[in-house]
Amino acid sequence: MSRIKATLRFLHAWRHPDEIARQVDAELRFHVEMRTVANIEDGMKPDEAQLAALQSFGDFDRIKGTCCEIRRSLPFDFTPLKIGLHIAVATLAGAAALWVANLPHKSPISVLWQLLFIAVLTCLFLVARRNKRPHRQ
Amino acid sequence: MGKSKAGLLQGTLDMLILKALSLGALHGYGIGQRIAQISDDALKIEEGSLYPGLYRLESRGWIESEWDVSDNNQRAKFYKLTRAGRKQLILEEQNWERLAGATMKALRAS
Repeated sequence: MSRIKATLRFLHAWRHPDEIARQVDAELRFHVEMRTVANIEDGMKPDEAQLAALQSFGDFDRIKGTCCEIRRSLPFDFTPLKIGLHIAVATLAGAAALWVANLPHKSPISVLWQLLFIAVLTCLFLVARRNKRPHRQ
Repeated sequence: MGKSKAGLLQGTLDMLILKALSLGALHGYGIGQRIAQISDDALKIEEGSLYPGLYRLESRGWIESEWDVSDNNQRAKFYKLTRAGRKQLILEEQNWERLAGATMKALRAS
């Protein structure tokens, strides 16, 4: 699946969450029905068969919720886009600072200032990411 | 000698789903059945856990799905392997063989 197709799927899932939930529900119910039929063929009574099917499936609502969440999640790694956005913000912040300090934008000192801004914001970005990441045991 | 039911190691579910779909398109229930069948009933997947796995694989572009009519004339969602999924399956098989080989070597060490 191409990135464009994956992005369109993601946008569709965000625009129509109810439709996605209905589809997931129908898919999971189909599974439970198939298991119920198999249980009946194995000699269970219909009520017992359905109960056993639901039990062997697990927590229906939780699984449905997880599937909907995955369907609505971004289809690719968002990090490069975030880094690009961060560099753009850092460059803009640097340019704004130079404008406030009334320094010419194309002098060697202004370039150094901009690089310093980008470096500082990169460090802040990395520290924020590290703190946000859950600790692994 | 009776068969013991093996628990699934983390990460193997994806490989088993890809393997099951490499043999043809299937709906979720059918995938569980096929995994049990090709493993000679030694591997039983927890039925509900199959679906988040399927959705994850689909979001990675390794499988794709479409609604169709099943053998019992009900609408069902059928999954099939994509080209990227086929490549991924080869990679996963190679990794698994390497891991299994290394583990066996460690167990046989005296």
